[in-house]
Amino acid sequence: MRKAIAPIVALIIAGAGLTTFFALRTSPEPVTSTYFLMDTVFTVKTTGGDAATINEHLHALASDVDSMTSYYKAESQTVRVNAAAGKGSVSVSPEYAALLKTAVAVEAIDHGRTFDIAISPLSSLWGFTTKDFRVPSAKEISDTLAYSHSDQLVLSGTTVQLRDSRSRIDLGGVAKGYSLDVMEEYLKTVKPQPQQVIVDFGGNLLLYSGGKKHDWKVGIRDPRGQGIIGYVRSDDAFVATSGDYERYFERDGKRYCHIIDPSTGYPGTLNRSATIITDIQPMHGAIGDALGKVFFCSPAGSQRSLFQTVQGQGVVGVVIVDAAGTRSTLGPITFVSTTAQ
Amino acid sequence: MKRSDRIVGVVILIALMLTIVSWIVMHRTRGAVAVVRVNDKVVATVDLTSLEPQTLHITGVLGPLVIVADGKGSIRVAEATCPDQICVHTIPARSPGDQVICVPNHMVITVEGKGTGIDALAQ
Repeated sequence: MRKAIAPIVALIIAGAGLTTFFALRTSPEPVTSTYFLMDTVFTVKTTGGDAATINEHLHALASDVDSMTSYYKAESQTVRVNAAAGKGSVSVSPEYAALLKTAVAVEAIDHGRTFDIAISPLSSLWGFTTKDFRVPSAKEISDTLAYSHSDQLVLSGTTVQLRDSRSRIDLGGVAKGYSLDVMEEYLKTVKPQPQQVIVDFGGNLLLYSGGKKHDWKVGIRDPRGQGIIGYVRSDDAFVATSGDYERYFERDGKRYCHIIDPSTGYPGTLNRSATIITDIQPMHGAIGDALGKVFFCSPAGSQRSLFQTVQGQGVVGVVIVDAAGTRSTLGPITFVSTTAQ
Repeated sequence: MKRSDRIVGVVILIALMLTIVSWIVMHRTRGAVAVVRVNDKVVATVDLTSLEPQTLHITGVLGPLVIVADGKGSIRVAEATCPDQICVHTIPARSPGDQVICVPNHMVITVEGKGTGIDALAQ
């Protein structure tokens, strides 16, 4: 009797032991850190490697980009360029010049009609820089628009000049994406390599698995509610979203969002959100960030040809929710809807 | 019953209990719980399954915030000392992954709980 039962008991104990072992010792727990900068939330979730140190370092890198590009912080290169508007040229760092060049190149894709870093006097006119919101008159808008285009910007090597004394540049439309570029450069060099890092910088994402081809599931935020309207699957990528649902004000039942359409001087109204997925290549974080505004301010009729222009330059796919709530995708991505339109 | 049989019985029982405990550890699920953080430190936790409405008074970086759980599964910021009032206008959070954020106050409400199945949210 005893002999017959002993092996069974041993087997059960072994089984229970193994189950316990795997339950308690799965992959390392992710370390999540949340910081606040660039007027938004910055969250890093790192699994494996020296996670806490990685998170701290990523935050330091984002702070550096903020100090370099900020529209508000004294001593930033943007503030120096703006302070010299109409007076003379300013010498900037090679990194800053490269970022400006990238932003101007994205502007050129749609001839400055849908994205312009020199639109910031209009943002100020609408009160988005001071949060003292107001609806300007049509005359104020057309007057301001006259000097709020990048044709006022002269960029030669690392020398920058704004011709009109009233012109201003603001790199808020590329700074978060550019931060993700800088972070990705650093993550590649980290030893030991983390298994996964998810950086969420105000909704702009860096999905990093160190080339392990992780199959990421990226939720697309419902622009008129909490939660998601669906998701897309992606390899490691930068994911940038421009939307009208976080920074906006309402007057007389009308919504005015913070993204100013450079062709009109009014807040963009054609779409609710545009999400751009770009592959992991230098500057593709910044490019994706800027393209978010391009597609956000584009009418449906021109989105397809715009996409064909940028597809060869690292853009994997685009998800757009238009002003009526209709969703469309561009590129070889599959959008899986989790809610009805 | 022999003494050895009893030992075998106890051993089987322990093994069974170990298996059950492991199973629970592996598959534990939390009900929807809202966690309120200021500067990444937890300042309050609210059970959203509770039917009792609840009002929280917390202090953010800029000043006081009033957070209301309505007793029907939603949580929102009712009042805040911040210039833009984005948090107050944010749609209440109720499902895992939902957030209400007040950037000037460094305050984040996150609904935690099992599985949205999503790695990250593009927004």
